Amino acid sequence: MKILLVDDEKKFAMMLAKRLALRGIDVDYVFTGEQALAKAENNKYDVAILDVKMPGIGGIELKRKLSRLSPETKIVFLTGHGSEIDFETGSAEAAYYLTKPFQLEKLIEILNEVVE
Amino acid sequence: MIDRFRSVFRAIHPKFYRQKHKHLDHYFTFTNYRKIWAIGIFGLGAAALLPLLVITMIHYQLIQTSVDSELILRTERVASNARRAVTFFLEERLNALSFTVNEIGYEQLTNSDHLAEILRNLKLGFGGLTDLSVIAHTGIQVAYAGPFKLEGKNYSGQIWFAECQKHNLYVSEIFRGYRDLPHIIIAVKSFRPDGTFFILRATLETQRLIQTLSAYQTGEHADIFLTNHTGIMQTVSKHYGGIFEKMTLPVPNFSSRTQAVMTTDAQGHSIIMGYAYIYTQVADTPFILMVIKQKAGMMRVWQELRSNINWFVGFSMVVIAIVIIITCTFMVNKLYLADKSKAETMALMEQANQLASIGQLAAGVAHEINNPLALINETAGYVRDLFVIKEQYQKDEELLENIDSILEAVERCGRITRQLLGFARKFDVKIQKVNLSEVISDVLIFHGKEAEYRNIKVHVDVPENMPEIETDRGKLQQILLNLVNNAFQAMADGCRLNIDVASSGPDQISIAISDNGCGMPEENLSKIFDPFFTTKERGQGTGLGLTITYSLIKKLYGSLTVESKEGLGTVFIINLPISIQEKIIAHENSFGG
Repeated sequence: MKILLVDDEKKFAMMLAKRLALRGIDVDYVFTGEQALAKAENNKYDVAILDVKMPGIGGIELKRKLSRLSPETKIVFLTGHGSEIDFETGSAEAAYYLTKPFQLEKLIEILNEVVE
Repeated sequence: MIDRFRSVFRAIHPKFYRQKHKHLDHYFTFTNYRKIWAIGIFGLGAAALLPLLVITMIHYQLIQTSVDSELILRTERVASNARRAVTFFLEERLNALSFTVNEIGYEQLTNSDHLAEILRNLKLGFGGLTDLSVIAHTGIQVAYAGPFKLEGKNYSGQIWFAECQKHNLYVSEIFRGYRDLPHIIIAVKSFRPDGTFFILRATLETQRLIQTLSAYQTGEHADIFLTNHTGIMQTVSKHYGGIFEKMTLPVPNFSSRTQAVMTTDAQGHSIIMGYAYIYTQVADTPFILMVIKQKAGMMRVWQELRSNINWFVGFSMVVIAIVIIITCTFMVNKLYLADKSKAETMALMEQANQLASIGQLAAGVAHEINNPLALINETAGYVRDLFVIKEQYQKDEELLENIDSILEAVERCGRITRQLLGFARKFDVKIQKVNLSEVISDVLIFHGKEAEYRNIKVHVDVPENMPEIETDRGKLQQILLNLVNNAFQAMADGCRLNIDVASSGPDQISIAISDNGCGMPEENLSKIFDPFFTTKERGQGTGLGLTITYSLIKKLYGSLTVESKEGLGTVFIINLPISIQEKIIAHENSFGG
């Protein structure tokens, strides 16, 4: 499973990436939407974990762009505020999301579910 | 007794009379209901009572003028009739004397028997004659018929003899003479065949003349009498002197016509004075006929009517005044109660809004805290992973670095919670020195992330020499938070928000919050401070934000203005006093402490 992690909280992204790596998951992490699109152009990812609120290209917009670039990549949102996803997207596509802080096991569970 | 009176007054006095709710004063539309009440009563009273008074006075004036004219006319008529009677009385007797002297001649007239015969006939024909005498040109009385023995008397030195010689006819004043009885003499001059003159003189009783006058004395308030040209009374008057006394009224100016004028007598009574100078067709007389009417007596009927009108007008005015007082009291009380109810609602709304703000703030803080918490979580998780999975735990640099990350994240959480606590504490009403830069920064912290995400540029300009102001920090913070919130909601991503602080007078500053967002249509501008006015979708906005912001600014003795152009943006300008303490003292002084 190859994963792209995008979050503007740099230390958080690094930490999460390291923990996933310790569990044998292949993770690339970047800090902005632009970097994420650049990565996605050259790599194929099974899942993209996106922070909703980021400066520049935000999570919601990034999801749309990634879907066009790589339709098979599944999306999981991370947010500091649980209700934002429903409010801002209002669609079933955004069914996968986690509210920070979360248990890593829960994320892995979602990732497995998404890939299957 | 006094206590009882006070308790009754307390029970009936209007609620606005004792306005006791200083904490609600800022929400009231009007501040002084007693003044409104007084102005209302005075204004309505003036509008209702003045026309009534003016019309009543005009009515009085008209009636008075009309009554005066009528009284003058009536007096003049009486005087005119009496004058004709007196003139006729004298003329008739002068003519009879002229006829006698021309018809009979000197020789027969000096015959005493014949003269007595003529006197008898004249008495029969005219009455009122006492005696008859013939005076030769020497002034010696040559013949006499009558009750006294006056033959041989010499009249050559007397005025009447000279006057008659001069004017041919003569009418005397009333005088006592040799006989010591009031009488009038009339005399006619004629000539003998030898060319010398002689005078036929008759004495008239005054009784007949007085009777003639008395016939014209109508009513108890009328007085009719004769006076001579120097003001010596010729007949008796009720009020103005006895016979031969000086009249207490001034002698009226000569007029050939009968006159009537309104004047006052020596006692200050208002009178109508009718008078006529008496002169016959053949000779002048020394008499002035006076007709005096006491105005008060003649006006009694009108005065009774006026008294009734006064009572009616007075009663009407009292009724009108009572109705006005009751109506004003009722209306002002209703207005006051409505205003009070609005003020109480506004106060509750402000409280609710404060709670909502705190709730919103708490939610925002929770959101902000979640990010560092997530980092703590992941870092701690990683440390745990290191222990469990990699088993590296001694003198490991990476481990230390990660522990530092945890501590740093905890510090971030601490900062946010400190700000949250600081913000909550600032809701207490407390006047303190406030640094505007700090307050604005505190408020913007809660919008920093949003501005970053939405690419909104926030520019704050506080001049370096801007003094600290004395105000309520918490309320100012809430005002700024509400206005900045509004601006963020009105702006699209990529817009710009400016907060400019400037000095707007010797003792006040202004804070302008301007955005280049969607702006407002002109028709909404006048309503934005109305409670419950919102352009947001149902459930999205309470419509109280700006209302409460406005009332908070009023509470800080400031003002709020707004300018907006649809599509271009909006500017809210807050003006605040540099020292709220001075304003509070001035406000309290203006209400008498």
